Amino acid sequence: MGKINRRVMMVGGAITMPNIPIDWTWRQLATEPFWQALQNTGIRVSDVDMVACAYNDRSIPDSSIGPQVADALGIVPKPVVITSSACAGNGIASYVAWNAIASGRCDIVVSLGFARSDNYDAMESMNSQGNYVDFDYMMGMTHINYGAIRDDYYRRKYGASVADAARWAYQCHWYARRNPLAKAYNDPMPVLEDLSTDTPEADRDRQATNRGGVASCMIFVGEEIAHRFTDKPVIFDVAYAYRSPYIGEFFNYPLDGLREYDLAEFPALMAAAREAYTIAGITRDDIDIAQTHDLTAYEGFMAIEGLGICPVGQAKDYVAAGGMTLESKCPVNTYGGGTAFGHGSVGCDFQAGVLENFWQLRGECGERQADAPRVGVNSSYGTHHSLDAVGVVQRGW
Amino acid sequence: MSDQFPEFFVRLDTFSSAVWYRTRRGRYRLEGTRCANCDTKFFPPRTGLICPVCYAREMVPYECAHTGTLVAVAQDNLGFPAWGYGDDLPRVMVIVRLDDGVHVMGDVVEFEEPEAVEPGARVKMVLRKHRREDTGAWVYGYRFVLADL
Repeated sequence: MGKINRRVMMVGGAITMPNIPIDWTWRQLATEPFWQALQNTGIRVSDVDMVACAYNDRSIPDSSIGPQVADALGIVPKPVVITSSACAGNGIASYVAWNAIASGRCDIVVSLGFARSDNYDAMESMNSQGNYVDFDYMMGMTHINYGAIRDDYYRRKYGASVADAARWAYQCHWYARRNPLAKAYNDPMPVLEDLSTDTPEADRDRQATNRGGVASCMIFVGEEIAHRFTDKPVIFDVAYAYRSPYIGEFFNYPLDGLREYDLAEFPALMAAAREAYTIAGITRDDIDIAQTHDLTAYEGFMAIEGLGICPVGQAKDYVAAGGMTLESKCPVNTYGGGTAFGHGSVGCDFQAGVLENFWQLRGECGERQADAPRVGVNSSYGTHHSLDAVGVVQRGW
Repeated sequence: MSDQFPEFFVRLDTFSSAVWYRTRRGRYRLEGTRCANCDTKFFPPRTGLICPVCYAREMVPYECAHTGTLVAVAQDNLGFPAWGYGDDLPRVMVIVRLDDGVHVMGDVVEFEEPEAVEPGARVKMVLRKHRREDTGAWVYGYRFVLADL
């Protein structure tokens, strides 16, 4: 690890509401949270030194969207660094932004993500990002197939049941009814017994819902200027790691640190967590709250295991014992999770977790507020967990 | 084709005859690569790529075993099949540990009951139709059938 010149402080952020108007252009979508966050923190557009922007929308025909994003945000001639890393993309944009602040090169940097996932062509194109394209995807194997195979494998390996998955989904729904930003905020609360049935319909209800078009952003500044913008700045750290992009190589990969795992664990998430915790100076025992990017309950199980919230293979026991609830030492998915907050892809899947932890640390979460958390972690992934990102926030006041 | 999924018209930029041509050996006979320096076997092929084990760059063609054992199974029953596979449901998607230790993702075809396709079952590779490429020609590639091996 190289030298870190200063801490990176998060002073604000925003995320669009679910179901944004379909007549919004992608430029308008990208601009919305940027504008909201700057307004909320009192930062002028002209004070932003750089934007790191992730997107996942192949319906945008331009081969280089950096100048267009800079133009939309009104920051020309300043740089916009474009990244494309599937659903974890805004985590990678945050990594870029973090480096720009930590190195001392920039003072105010915005991490931005947007995804026009209300466009069918774009959604179908995203499928090709889910699996190794030359073989699996070209031969009709999508990332949805991967998710189904992975969940079945996890269930068999660790003895998790449909009822275990239902408990995860139910708690996500409970939180979402207390989060106005959640996709399921106004929906009727599901019945646990219905979620626990072994039918395709219940299986669907235990999985993520789509937020439609989404954009989110976070504002990072150098530690010495953070108190200019808020009396409650939050220390932010992030790391990410890879494993093979080919699903077959999740088994018996010929490298230490990967060979020991298979389809039922997330070694890239574990590696990212190790690095993020080291940079942040925390251990897993310090974690007070966790958010996961979970498109199925089993994926959520694997995520909290990878984050170290509970031992590998024991997430079902953690959840059954009430580990996700506000009464737990470490509540999980208070934002509603993929199940009920909604899957936002590059638009928010990483940043929704960071923003929830940011608001939780500042005591701004109303009915879903945890008991005075000081350290929050979150996970996000792209391309079937060949890429995992982990964020850490700590009170900075 | 079926009533539900009539003749499709492929528009994705990932579908091209050039890609199908480049991948033909892998699709037709599970040809991957072997590192000439450390002998590690890979599928998909890593031709022209760096070995992640020894960092050498000399890869030679390697035909993987055509028989193996299912290690993971799931039915594609979510109502969102890949384009070109709508008349072929339910597909049973699998991960196979080939007898040489290489793992590949694929699907099992020509079974009596989907429930018979379980982890631990023995399978062998067969060459079957997949989907049409954007020129209209059928694409062939590996699939798996249950086998008493």
